[in-house]
Amino acid sequence: MAEAALRTAPPDRARLLQWLQTYGVYAGVALLLVVNTVITPHFLSAENFRTQAVQVAPVVIVALGMALVIGTEGVDLSVGAVMALAASVTALYLGYGLLPALLAVALFAAGVGFANGALVAFVGVQPIVATLALMVGGRGLALVLLPQLEDLRNPQLASLGSGDVLGVPYLILIAAVLALLVAFVVRRTTFGRQLLAIGDSRPAAELAGLPVRRVLIVVYVVCALLAAVAGVLATARLQASDPTSLGNLMELSAITAVVVGGTPLTGGRVNIAGTVAGAVLIQLLTATLIKHDLPPSWTQIAQAVVIVCAVYAARGRGKR
Amino acid sequence: MQRTTHRPHFLARSVAVALATAVALTATACAKSEDDASDKKQSASSAAGAEQKAVTPKPGSKTCTIDAYGAKKLDLKGATVGFSQSEKEANPFRIAETQSLKDEAQKRGVKLLTANAQSQFSKQITDVQDLLAKGADLLVVAPLNSDGWDPVLQAAAAKKVPIVTIDRKINAEACKDYVSFIASDFVEQGRRAADQMIEATGGKGEVAILLGAAGNNVTTERTKGFKERVAEKAPGLKVVAEQTGDFAREKGQQVTEQLIQSNPGIKGVYAENDEMGLGAVAALKGAGKKAGDIKIVTVDGTRNAVQGIVDGWISGVVESNPRFGPLAFETLDTFTRGEPVAQDIIIEDGTYNADNAKQDIGKAF
Repeated sequence: MAEAALRTAPPDRARLLQWLQTYGVYAGVALLLVVNTVITPHFLSAENFRTQAVQVAPVVIVALGMALVIGTEGVDLSVGAVMALAASVTALYLGYGLLPALLAVALFAAGVGFANGALVAFVGVQPIVATLALMVGGRGLALVLLPQLEDLRNPQLASLGSGDVLGVPYLILIAAVLALLVAFVVRRTTFGRQLLAIGDSRPAAELAGLPVRRVLIVVYVVCALLAAVAGVLATARLQASDPTSLGNLMELSAITAVVVGGTPLTGGRVNIAGTVAGAVLIQLLTATLIKHDLPPSWTQIAQAVVIVCAVYAARGRGKR
Repeated sequence: MQRTTHRPHFLARSVAVALATAVALTATACAKSEDDASDKKQSASSAAGAEQKAVTPKPGSKTCTIDAYGAKKLDLKGATVGFSQSEKEANPFRIAETQSLKDEAQKRGVKLLTANAQSQFSKQITDVQDLLAKGADLLVVAPLNSDGWDPVLQAAAAKKVPIVTIDRKINAEACKDYVSFIASDFVEQGRRAADQMIEATGGKGEVAILLGAAGNNVTTERTKGFKERVAEKAPGLKVVAEQTGDFAREKGQQVTEQLIQSNPGIKGVYAENDEMGLGAVAALKGAGKKAGDIKIVTVDGTRNAVQGIVDGWISGVVESNPRFGPLAFETLDTFTRGEPVAQDIIIEDGTYNADNAKQDIGKAF
C-alpha cells in the first residue's frame, strides 16, 4: 500500500487513471475485504471464503474465455446459452456415464464456438451480431433438448460439484488451473501473441501473414468450451439440469469481470489476473449486499457504479 | 391474415429451420438420460382427487349471468374453446395447467384451440385475436400481465365471446369485459406458509425469506400474507433477511449459502416457490447441515418438493393448484346454460406436511 500511495502522489491525472485501470480492481477487492471484516459478522471464516470462491468459480471460468475473445476485439454473447446447452446435454447423455456425457457436451460447445468463429472469421459478421444469433439459438436448442428442469443423481457428477481435495473444492481447483493455463497461453505462447496482434489491428495482422481466421476460430471454440465447463460445474453443484435459468445474464457478468479487470474492449490487451479479480470484486459486492439484506436493486446499482468507474479509468488510457 | 407471396429469404429460413431440427433430432436419437430405465412419470393432471375445488363463495358475493353479459346461450359440448397460455410450458406449473385444460376438453368433447405467448405480452394479444379469428366461441386466458387488454376485450365484446381468466386477474370490469376470474389466493398462501413455519420452528427464532421475481404480484402477495400472519401470531419469529431468488433453483441455492453463512442462527427459510426451496435444500446439504436442522417451507406443491418432505428436508409445502381444467370448464358450462356464476372464484388449495406427504405425493404435479 505504501508503494501505491507513492505512485499516486504526483498530481498527474493520466498516471492516476492508468494506475486505477491497472490496480483499481485489486484496490476494490482489498477495500471490500477490509470493510466486510469490520462490518459483516462471521466474515473471517474459512467456510465463508469457501462459499464465495465456489460461487465465483463458474463466473471466473466463463470470464477467462470472454477475456480471450475481447482480446481479439470481439465479444461473445452466447456464453450463457452454451452453459444452458451444456446443462441439457449433460442430462441427456448421463445415462452412458459421466465421461461420455462430458464428451458430448464438449462436442456441442465446440460446435457453437465453431459457428461463432466461422461467422466472425469467414463470413465477416460483427462478433456482437454473430454471437447474438448463437445466444438466442443456443438457448432455444437447449430447451428443445430438455424442456424443463431435471434432477440428476449420478454420484460422480455430484462429487464433481461438492467434493474436495484436502479441503479445497474441485470447482476452485479447476478454476485456478484454467486461469493459470489461460494466463500462460496469453503471455508465453505464439498463439497468445497472434491473438493480441489481431486485436490490435486485424488488417495489420493479415498483412503480416498471421493465420487470422484460424486463430479467431480457435479463440471462439475455446471460449465456448470454457463456458461449457462452467455450465457442467454449475449443474454438478445444483445436482439438477436447469436449461431455463442456468447462465441467464452470464454474458453480462463475464463482460463486467473482464472490463472491470482492466482489459480494454478495443482489444490487443488481455489482463487475466485482473479478470479473475474483477469477478471476485462483483462476487464480494453481491455477497456484501445480500449479507446485509439490502434490496437486490442495490446490487445492480452498485455494479453499474463499478462498471462506470472502470470505463472511466479505461478512457484515460485510450487517450494516452 | 393471408400471406400469398413468399419472401426471397423464405428458402434460406426453411433450410435453417431444417438444419436446426436435424441437429435436435440427431442429438436426441442416441441420447440416454438417467431416467430412461424407469417408467414415465404419472400424467400430471390425471391424479385422482387432485382437481381444484372452489371455496364456497360468501353470501352476497357478485355473480354474473349470460343475460347480464350479453352473450348467447350455447351448448358447451360441440363448442370451440380457445386457451391462451402466458408462459412456455417449461415449469411444472404451466405444464400441469395446460395439460389439465387439454384433458378436460377431451373429456367433455369440446374442441380446444391453444396458443402460447412465450412470456411476450404482445404475442399474447395477437394469440387471443388469432383464437377469435379461428372461431373460438369461448375463451380461457392465463394472462401474462394484468393491464393492456383493451384491444382484445373490444374484439371479444364485438363477437360476444365470453372470457374466463385464470391464475392472474386482468384490470377490467367483471361481467362486462370478462365473465369470471379463477385463481388461488396468493396472500392466503403466504399466511398458510407462515402457519407452517410457526409450527415447524415453534414460533421463535430467525427466518429468511427467498422472494420470487421482483415486480411480480405473486411475490408481493405471498410476502404480504406471510409477514401479516407472523406479526399477528408469532411476534417471536423475526424475519432477518428478504432476498430474491428469482423463482429459480440455482439462485435460491446461492442466496441461501450466503445467508446461512452470515446468520448462523437462522432457524427457517420461507421460499416463495418450490424451486428456490429445493435450491435452499441443496445449499444446506452443501454446508453439511442435516435434514431438519433448518426448517424450509415452500409454496407450489410440485412432486420434487413433496418428495423433499418425505425425505425430511422440507417441513411443509402450501399447494398452489395448477389444474384449472375442470373448474374452468364447469364455470363455462354453467354460464352458457344461463345459470349465474361467481365473478371471483377462489381455489381451495391443499397443504402437504410430514403427516400426509407420503400418501398424497400422487396429487403433486
